[in-house]
Amino acid sequence: MPRTAVTRITHSCHLIEIGGRTFLTDPWFSTRPGYYQGEPIAIGIADLPRLDGVLISHEHYDHCDLEAFAAYRDRSVPLFVAETVVEAARRHGFTDVTALKPWQDVEVGGVTITATPAKHGVYEVTFVLRAGADAVYFAGDTMLIPELAEIPDRLGHISLALLPTNGLHVRPADNLQVVMNAREAAELTAILRPELAVPHHYAFTKGFLGDRLITRSDKNPLHYQEASRDLAPGTSVHIVEPGIRIEL
Amino acid sequence: MGTTTQYTVSPAGIGPIEVSVAEYGSGQPFLLLHGGAGPQSVSGFAEKFAAAHEVRVLVPTHPGFGGTLRPEALDSVARLAALYQALLDQLELADVTVIGNSIGGWVTAEIALLKSPRVSGIVLIDAVGIEVPGHPVADFFSLTMDQVFELSFHNPDPFRFNAATLPPAAQAVAAGNRAAIAVYAGAAMTDPTLAARLGTLEVPTLVLWGESDGIVDSDYGRAYAAAIPLARFQLLPATGHNAQMETPDQVVDAIWGSGDTDFSAFAR
Repeated sequence: MPRTAVTRITHSCHLIEIGGRTFLTDPWFSTRPGYYQGEPIAIGIADLPRLDGVLISHEHYDHCDLEAFAAYRDRSVPLFVAETVVEAARRHGFTDVTALKPWQDVEVGGVTITATPAKHGVYEVTFVLRAGADAVYFAGDTMLIPELAEIPDRLGHISLALLPTNGLHVRPADNLQVVMNAREAAELTAILRPELAVPHHYAFTKGFLGDRLITRSDKNPLHYQEASRDLAPGTSVHIVEPGIRIEL
Repeated sequence: MGTTTQYTVSPAGIGPIEVSVAEYGSGQPFLLLHGGAGPQSVSGFAEKFAAAHEVRVLVPTHPGFGGTLRPEALDSVARLAALYQALLDQLELADVTVIGNSIGGWVTAEIALLKSPRVSGIVLIDAVGIEVPGHPVADFFSLTMDQVFELSFHNPDPFRFNAATLPPAAQAVAAGNRAAIAVYAGAAMTDPTLAARLGTLEVPTLVLWGESDGIVDSDYGRAYAAAIPLARFQLLPATGHNAQMETPDQVVDAIWGSGDTDFSAFAR
């Protein structure tokens, strides 16, 4: 069986290889005024491998860049998405779109994809992908919520966790926190107890003025690594530059 | 002192245009656009900003101002915006904050509407351009110079000069500036379509307004901010229309320290 592996493309956009299949998460391949990856986009759409599925956690542009991703060579690729993404996905020409609610699952070529709960500024789901003993948890940009503690009991051991860590706050919304922070990501790591964890969603910037007026976030993934050392010492935390493939 | 470079820029549909750009400092990029008072109305601020922070401030002279040539095809605020958008492309700048005062603020708003990813934020300082019922832009072309000073500053005395005593070359430049204002902004200095178009912006926006602005009053400024989603409005005390000249430290602090704000400012 091929090894389970992850290649971070940028932000929360990853290629996940599991069970001999390849999945893309939360596509983001362009920029707009006030929305910047803050790091390279390691793989362009034309250079993506053949995908067995695409997982989209919610409709925000930095997670659901369908306008750019519509250039992918095969718009019959299966999309597994939060239900709020279905209409936009079809509007962009994707023909095989399945909405998954929390704890609903679907099988794709021997890989079980289960939607898991989330909480964000808008409706969101996260995902667990399982093939045999390996399971990858993709956390999108959720907050830490109690329901996530049910994952190990309901879905079994998680081998690899991809977690947001920037604790994004929205200043004009009474400084509302909408993404888990480094400490909370470490708490979730302690709950999931994966062998390997990779932070994502930390380099994002709204630009010079946007970071001052609109958002506040922690751009240093070392804070997560340090917190995990205390709270989840059994997990190896790898800070992965875009384009680097790591195997479980 | 800044260094000045002549660029040949070719915005689509207008053709090659020579533009003079003064540059101050290095670091985080800013494009700073002057209003009808000309490039000297922002150069001191650019110098101060670059001395205080690691910033690279680019100050173009709008063609036709400062004795420069204006090609006939460059005849509107929208075309000035296209010129500066092309300049940012040519210089391959990213994460640029565009700052504009008065007519420069109007140009800034039009640049934002071009929605280039290169422009990550805008700062409007006592900008003109929108129509606000009951709050007209002062009729610049009917004012005496003394009246212009009175309306432009909280305390005009340090800024007054007698235009009649200027040397002939400087008088010619001033006349050229006045002609350029008329071409770009027209007598009304407004575009009745602008306010509605601003409603589509997603770019982070800071609207700074001199409390004593007599050219465009503070309610006009509030209306400007209200027209732009999530724009933040900040009133500058003891300040008139040319805020970056009269209270430059306040303007620097408002831009650089804009994260440390009272967010109730958003609740208009």
